[in-house]
Amino acid sequence: MAFLARALRQSNSRLSSRCPAVAASCRWISPTAAAGSPEAGAAVAPADPELPPPREPVGGARVELPPNPEDALEVFVDGHAVRIPKGFTVLQACEVAGVDIPRFCYHSRLSIAGNCRMCLVEVEKSPKPVASCAMPALPGMKIKTNTPVAKKAREGVMEFLLMNHPLDCPICDQGGECDLQDQSMAFGADRGRFTEMKRSVVDKNLGPLVKTVMTRCIQCTRCVRFATEVAGVQDLGMLGRGSGEEIGTYVEKLMTSELSGNVIDICPVGALTSKPFAFKARNWELKGTETIDVTDAVGSNIRVDSRGPEVMRIVPRINEDINEEWISDKTRFCYDGLKRQRLNDPMIRGPDGRFKAVTWRDALAVVAEVLHQVKPEEITGVAGKLSDAESMMALKDFVNRMGSDKVLCEGNGPNPPADLRSNYLMNTGIAGLEKADVFLLVGTQPRVEAAMVNARIRKTVGATQAKVGYIGPPADLNYDHEHLGTGPETLVEIAEGRHPFCSVLQSAKNPVIIAGAGLFEREDQDALFSTIETVAKKFNVTRPDWNGLNVLLLHAAQAAALDLGLVANPAESIKSAKFLYLMGADDISLDKLPEDAFVVYQGHHGDKAVYRANVILPSSAFSEKEGTYENTEGCTQWTIPAVPTVGDARDDWKIIRALSEVAGAQLPYDSLSAVRDRISTVAPNLIHVDEKEPCTISAEVKPPVKQQVSSTPFKTVIENFYMTDAITRASKIMAQCSATLLKK
Amino acid sequence: MAFTMRAVKVPPNSASLEEARHRVFDFFKQACRSIPTVMEIYNLDDVVTPSQLRSTIAKEIRKNQNVTNPKVIDMLLFKGTEELNNIVEHAKQRHHVIGQYVIGQEGLVHELGSKDQGSSDFLKKFYTSNYF
Repeated sequence: MAFLARALRQSNSRLSSRCPAVAASCRWISPTAAAGSPEAGAAVAPADPELPPPREPVGGARVELPPNPEDALEVFVDGHAVRIPKGFTVLQACEVAGVDIPRFCYHSRLSIAGNCRMCLVEVEKSPKPVASCAMPALPGMKIKTNTPVAKKAREGVMEFLLMNHPLDCPICDQGGECDLQDQSMAFGADRGRFTEMKRSVVDKNLGPLVKTVMTRCIQCTRCVRFATEVAGVQDLGMLGRGSGEEIGTYVEKLMTSELSGNVIDICPVGALTSKPFAFKARNWELKGTETIDVTDAVGSNIRVDSRGPEVMRIVPRINEDINEEWISDKTRFCYDGLKRQRLNDPMIRGPDGRFKAVTWRDALAVVAEVLHQVKPEEITGVAGKLSDAESMMALKDFVNRMGSDKVLCEGNGPNPPADLRSNYLMNTGIAGLEKADVFLLVGTQPRVEAAMVNARIRKTVGATQAKVGYIGPPADLNYDHEHLGTGPETLVEIAEGRHPFCSVLQSAKNPVIIAGAGLFEREDQDALFSTIETVAKKFNVTRPDWNGLNVLLLHAAQAAALDLGLVANPAESIKSAKFLYLMGADDISLDKLPEDAFVVYQGHHGDKAVYRANVILPSSAFSEKEGTYENTEGCTQWTIPAVPTVGDARDDWKIIRALSEVAGAQLPYDSLSAVRDRISTVAPNLIHVDEKEPCTISAEVKPPVKQQVSSTPFKTVIENFYMTDAITRASKIMAQCSATLLKK
Repeated sequence: MAFTMRAVKVPPNSASLEEARHRVFDFFKQACRSIPTVMEIYNLDDVVTPSQLRSTIAKEIRKNQNVTNPKVIDMLLFKGTEELNNIVEHAKQRHHVIGQYVIGQEGLVHELGSKDQGSSDFLKKFYTSNYF
């Protein structure tokens, strides 16, 4: 129930901005909500009794006026004066005044095209209606959005758009959430005059993710602008002119971007829709659950749309600090992995090597019995990359109560820098990257490790011409960058001031260093991080007002695991283990594990580690449980259950709690809130949900490092962007993507 | 469904608790009278005796013994009558009757709880379901 309280709190905070979101969305499709007679807009005097009352900004948005009053100007929208910053367009001015202008091509995060003409409004003393998205607001402008001229203009535009738009809404996947459908209901004419044949366009093959029905396209060019500006691939473009105009890839080519799924969201019509979701469900049958993504360490905010017990699709939620309004393809399309390869019953491996389904009572009894036969120091617990903080807390408490301190999280390496939070977090924050002017990427390829962070870097590079230096194996970064070298020696050169890139770092105002979490796995990681700190000190990367020394983590569980202190050395722990408890850990190397070790696998997918397991305890996936995750910038977020668990599975922390009792070392918590109370005594920042707990910089207290930097070049950490964890490896769509989209 | 609708007439509401109570006894008697027919229709002679069935009926009625609102009692009576009609009209099959009234809701497995003795409330709930 805690998540309900949280949802309530969130909606309260949203409502506390003065305009209720509900009212805003109602206004969206109803042109008459503004009401008043058509002449009302013409009257400028605010005292006019015909004038509708002034409204709040669209969506409850806050408008920050610049401190200098000369940088603000005043315009009149439908007779009401509004103050806006200089440089706003007429459309933005209208939004501030609470008037939502219909639009197709305009998108606030993309450049302005001004080609759909749907946003026409009347401006006094202008001979024709103007396209409000492309017209800068000028002081004293008198904008009228609801006059007969504006209405007639919209109606005309609508008629032209519908001329060549097929009437296939009943079989269109966009039906019900289509901008064209909504706006033609609200602003279009009630009859058509068109009797000729409609034009038709050949569909393009954009790969396994995006389905195209190009006849439906209205040439708003949002997808073209998204591909070039945000995704950074020049794959889409406009071909032909006039009525022969069409969107397409210039030659027969797939769209190879890790953000390609977002064109589905920005397409205002049904031209670009989701291929895996095609004809699967209608949007009004779906139940949306606002949760977060766990396929990488970014923690993108998503909405899981489910029908009954099935996750039907995943779409992004807006969070300006983390993912803006985009998500990566892995996040969006991994959901079919939630239906495949699932573990649904507790199972014990018989003497013949085959698994047999048993009851929870028997499975836990067997595990507890084995647990008592081994020595305490031979017990090892490993948390997987998708584990939530609650289950990791329970696992650590349980293993400790059994007398062992060997509990770790995969991916954190032999000696993770867990002492200071600033040593393993992205200290600038993801949104803070936009302030940077020089990036130095050390052993990290953000494009595959954290696509949303990469999009942020690309946005910054595009907006401010920030310089990017990259040390690591040859990589395909989608922005201008300088490949400085492949190994640590380049880093040492920079630290010693011998490298040409030093002059760039020297002149930077807000330099940022991003070190990949892949470095944690290296033998010389202490030396590497101390070299990175030398670079940071030398070029003023960490100052009291700016901490640009960042670590980009790889997995959703990593940050919370380091906060909670799951920091045992994997090599030693595995080698000496006689009882290994794998909590969803599939990517940890079990080669060194003794033959006679007893392996318990608790997880939701029959993935790699199951082949070695002796007992399987089925648990719930992120879409089915309430869990706390901390992302790479240290922001704590909760997942919310969207669908029920599969079969006889249980939540992760409950399994460990139950096992602890059967094993005679009962953990002192019975409910989620009690687990969270326990967490708050270890890592209070994991309790402050949706907040980023800032960490203090105290690099001085570190002991000097005696280790030498090795000359081994940095390795590629993630070989296959589409398949990184149990869920994505079980997904058929992700398998198709890796087959067709990965560069060979 | 039509024949059930014909058979089940909705009587006017009971005016008082006394009247409702009276109707419950009437219903019980009616159900007891139909037991021989039921035994014959569903071939129950080798699995159950009439007296066992009678006590099952009494048990089902006693499940609601704390209800004091005559309207609710009327509603429950209506449901009971409907169920009885379904049984008497052979709208059910043999395994329905055996499953519901001979074996009972718990089914064939009777967990005596000896294994879980001494374990906490949490563990008992954990064994039954993930949601508690």
